[in-house]
Amino acid sequence: MGALADGWRRLRSLGRRRELEDRLDDEIRFHVEHQIEKNQRAGMTPAEARRLAMIRFGGVEQTRERTRDEFRAAPLEHLARDVRYGLRSLRRHPGFTAMAVLSLAIGIGANTAIFGVAYAVLFRQSPLADPETLVNIYESPSNPMSYPNIEDLRRGTTHVFSGIAASAFAVTQIDRGGTAATVMGEAVTGGAFALLGVEPQLGRAIQPQDDVSRGGHPVVMLSHGYWQRAFGGDPQVVGRTLQMGRRGYTIIGVAPAVYRGGLPAITPAFFVPMTMLDELMGIEMLDRRFNHSMLVKARLAPGVTRVQAEHAASLVAASLSTARPEGWIAGERFELVPTSEVQVVPGIDPLLRAAAWLLITVVGLVLLLACTNLASFLVARAVDRGQEIAVRRALGASRGALARQVLVESALLGLGGAVAGLVLAFALLDLLLSIDLPLPYGMRLDLHFGLGWPTLLDWRVLAFTAGAGVMAGIFLGLLPAVHGTRADLGLALKAGGKGSDAPGPLRWRNVMVVAQIAMSLVLLVGAGLFLRSWQQTLAVDPGFGRTPTSILSVIMPATRSAPDAAVQRTRRLLERFRALPGATAVGLVWPLPLELSSSQTDFTIDGRKPPAGRETFRASRATADGGYFDAAGMTIVAGRTFNDDDRRDSQPVALISQAMARRYWPDGDALGRILRRPDPGEEDLLIVGVVSDVNVRSLGEAPRDLVYQSYTQGEPLPGASFLVRTAIDPARMALALVSTGQQVDPDLRVMQAMSMTQHLATARLPSQIGAFLLAAFAVLGAALAAIGVYGTVRYTVAMRTREVGIRMALGADAASVARLLASRGLRLVLLGGVIGVAISLIAARLLATLLFGVGTFDPVALAGAPLVLGVAAWVAAYLPAWRASRADPLAALRAD
Amino acid sequence: MKDRSDVLQGTLDMLVLRAVQLEPMHGWGIAERIEQWSEQVLQLGQGTLYPGLYRLERQNFIRSEWRITDKNRRARYYSLTASGRRYLTESLAQWRRVSRAINLVLDVTTVN
Repeated sequence: MGALADGWRRLRSLGRRRELEDRLDDEIRFHVEHQIEKNQRAGMTPAEARRLAMIRFGGVEQTRERTRDEFRAAPLEHLARDVRYGLRSLRRHPGFTAMAVLSLAIGIGANTAIFGVAYAVLFRQSPLADPETLVNIYESPSNPMSYPNIEDLRRGTTHVFSGIAASAFAVTQIDRGGTAATVMGEAVTGGAFALLGVEPQLGRAIQPQDDVSRGGHPVVMLSHGYWQRAFGGDPQVVGRTLQMGRRGYTIIGVAPAVYRGGLPAITPAFFVPMTMLDELMGIEMLDRRFNHSMLVKARLAPGVTRVQAEHAASLVAASLSTARPEGWIAGERFELVPTSEVQVVPGIDPLLRAAAWLLITVVGLVLLLACTNLASFLVARAVDRGQEIAVRRALGASRGALARQVLVESALLGLGGAVAGLVLAFALLDLLLSIDLPLPYGMRLDLHFGLGWPTLLDWRVLAFTAGAGVMAGIFLGLLPAVHGTRADLGLALKAGGKGSDAPGPLRWRNVMVVAQIAMSLVLLVGAGLFLRSWQQTLAVDPGFGRTPTSILSVIMPATRSAPDAAVQRTRRLLERFRALPGATAVGLVWPLPLELSSSQTDFTIDGRKPPAGRETFRASRATADGGYFDAAGMTIVAGRTFNDDDRRDSQPVALISQAMARRYWPDGDALGRILRRPDPGEEDLLIVGVVSDVNVRSLGEAPRDLVYQSYTQGEPLPGASFLVRTAIDPARMALALVSTGQQVDPDLRVMQAMSMTQHLATARLPSQIGAFLLAAFAVLGAALAAIGVYGTVRYTVAMRTREVGIRMALGADAASVARLLASRGLRLVLLGGVIGVAISLIAARLLATLLFGVGTFDPVALAGAPLVLGVAAWVAAYLPAWRASRADPLAALRAD
Repeated sequence: MKDRSDVLQGTLDMLVLRAVQLEPMHGWGIAERIEQWSEQVLQLGQGTLYPGLYRLERQNFIRSEWRITDKNRRARYYSLTASGRRYLTESLAQWRRVSRAINLVLDVTTVN
C-alpha cells in the first residue's frame, strides 16, 4: 500500500495548513483592528469600538472554519478522516469485515491466479529480440518441418531471411550419480540463440561453432528451471559434465528464466546442438525427410516483407516438389506466420484461447457474484445504519459527505480484498503448479519459468488485481452510497431502522439476488456440460486397453545398418516379457495410439483415383507385431495377424483398420489387395488382415484409416511401446518390464513405464482439467449465491420480527410462518432461475468447440444445475425463516 | 437608516473582483469599498468575505501578497489576475443581461 506516499501527502498538507491558518489569523486580526481604529476615529470609546467591530465582522470562529474548507488540502483531509472513520467502523464489525474481505479475496484471488496462468500461457511472448521481424515457418497445414527440408529452405531463401533457427524435442536419460531420469530437452541449431536474441543467464549460449559436425559437440545448455530443480541454481555449474544418454556433455551455460524454448508452455530441461540430436536420442531423425518434428523460426532480412519471404519460400517448395518428389507432397507449401501471432501452435491456438477466455469469464462471474453479495450486505448495513445516517444528516452532514464515507468504507474493503486476494492467488498458483499432471516423458507444463513471486509481480498482473479490487470496491459502495443516504429523515428517525417492509434498498437487494441466482446458474450449467463432457470421455471406448495392461515405452538403439539385429533384439524382449508371470498377452506397437507422436504413409490403390489435387491417398501408420492386437484387446475382423513367416525377405504385408477397409472396399473384399507406395524407401504392401478401429490421435475421434506394418519388415523402429495384458497389478507389472528389459538389453532406454489406465488418463486430461476447474468455480459461485439468498431472507426476517411475533401470538403455526418468510426469497430464486436457464441456453452454444460428446442442449446439465441450485437456495431461504418461526412470540414482540 | 440587503449569493464574487480591479486592496478595504459604493445599502457580515477570497485565489481569479500599509502595518493585498479580469467581464455582462430582463418584467407588472 502506498502508506509512504499517503503519509507524505498528509504531512505536506499539514505544513501548508499551518501556514494558511497563520495567514488567515493575521488577516482577521488586521481587519478587526482596522475597523476598531475607524470606529474610534468616529468618536467611540475603545470598548464600544471593539464591540461594534466584532459585530460587523461576524463570527470569527465561523469565518475561520468556512475559510478552512477552501484550503486546497481540504479534500485530502476529509479523505484521511473518512479512512480513519471507515477503519474504525470496520473494526467494530469484525465478523462482517472478515466475511467481506474473505469473499472478495476468494473472487479476486481466483481471478488473479487464472489471469496469471492465462497470461503466462497465452498472452506473454518469449522475450525475443525484434519480434516483429520473426516468422514461424510450418509445412502446411501448420506441421513442424523436417531437417532436410529446412536445409533446402535455408539454401533457397538466403536473400529474404537473415537466419533460420530450428528446434526439436530431444528425450534422453540423464544420469546424475545413480538416479537416472527421462528428461525432455531441445536440440537447437547453432545460430538459434543469437538469431532470437536470447542472452544466457550464465556461461554462454549454444553458438554456430557448436553445431558443425554430427555427434561432434557434446555440450549442453541448461534451462533455468532445470538448473534450479536439479542443481539448486548452483552458479558454479558451468564447466561440469552431465551424463546424458551414453555420453558426458559439458555444461556451457544456463538459459534465462524467460526463455521457454521453441514450443511455449512446455519448457525443455536442456538445450543441445542440433547435430547431437541423433546421437542423443539414439535414432536417426536428421536425415529423414519425413520426420516432421522441427519447429522453425526465421528472421526477415532488413527491408523484406513477409509476403516477399512467402513468395521466395513458395519457389523453394515448387522446386522441392519436382526435385524430390519422394520428400514432398504436391500442393504442400511453406506457411509463414508472424511469431507474435503464435501462442503455441497455430492449429491449437484458437482452442487454447477459447479455453483461456472461458476461464477468465468464469472467474470474472465468480468475482461478480462475490461483489453482489457484499453489495447487498452493505445495502443492508446502510439500512441498519439508517438512524445514524438520519441523525448525522439532521446535524447538517451533507448527503455527499455521507455517501463519500460509505464509498471510502467499501473501497477499504476492496483494497483489503485485493491484498488478501493476492496472497490467495499465490497459494492457488502454488497449488495449481504442484498438481502432478500425468504427462508423458517426465514432461512438465513448466509455468514456473515465471509464476513464482517475482514474475507474478509483473505489473500487468498486479494492475489487474488492483483494478479488480478498486472496481469491486466502487461497485460495492455505489448502491449503498446512493440508497443508504437517501432515506427520508423523519421516517428513519421514527422507525429506528426497523421498518416493517421493504424500502428502496431492499428492492435493489432483490434485483441482486435474482442476478446472482441467474449468474451462478449459468456457471453451474457450464460446469454441468463440462462434467458431462468429461463423463463422455470416460465412457468412450478408444478401441484398445479395456483390460488391465502395462505399457513400457522405449527408444530403440540405432541399428539402421543392421535391421535384422534390431529385429532379433526386439524379438528377444518380446519373448522374455511373454515368460513373465502374470503376463497373459504381449505385443509391441509404435507409435502408441493416443500418444503425441503419429506417423503417416502415402499410397495408391489400383483402380481408384486420389482426391483432386493429390497424387496419393494418405493414412495413419503404425508398426506392430503379431501379438499386439490381442494384447491391446482388439479383434481381427478378417484375415490374419502378422506371423513368423512375415520376414524381411518375404512379401511385405499390412493389416488395415476396419474403417479403412469399409472406405476403400465397401464390398468387404479388402484382403489380397495391394497398397502401392510411391516413396522409394517404402515397399508395396499386401493386405492380409482387417482389425477393429482404435482412436489414434484423440479420444472419441471418427475412426481413421490406419495401416499396420510388421516390425519384422520395413525400416527399423525408432521406438516401441510394449503392451502386456496382465492378471496382476499393472503398475507392478510395469516395474517388472523395466527391470527385465534392462536385463535383456543393457542399452535399452526406457522412456516411460506405466499402466494403460495412466495412459488413457493422459488422453482425458484436457477435458478433465476443464471439467473440474469449472465445477470448482461453479460450486463456489453457487455457494456465494446461496449466501446471498440466506442473507436476504435473514435480513427480511429481522425486519419483520415484530410482525412474526404478532402473527404467532394470534395463533399462526410455525410452519406457515416459516413458509411466509421464505416465500419471498424463493420467488426471487425462481425468477433468477428462469433468467439463468435462458442465458445458459444461449451461452452454451459458445462452448460448443470445447465440449466433447455432448450437445449444447444437454438435458442432464440443464435440469441438474437448477436442481442443485434450487436445493441450496431452498435451504438458504428456509434456514433463517425456520429459526425465526421457532422464536418465542413474546420475545419477538418485545424486540427493539 | 437605509435598508440593508444581504448580498445575493454569487454576486459577492463579482463585487470583490470589481473592488480589486482598480488597485490591490486588503480584506478590510474591500469590505469598506463595497459598502461605500453601494451607499451603505450592501453591508457585509465582513467575515463572510474571507472564504470567498480564499476560494477566488484558489480559482486563480485573484492573487495575494503581503504588503506594508501607509500606516506601516503588514496586510495581505489582493489583486486581479488576467483570468479574473476575463471572468469579471463575463460576469458583468451576464449580470446586466439578467437584471435588465428582471427590470423589464417588473416594469411590465408594475404598469398593470
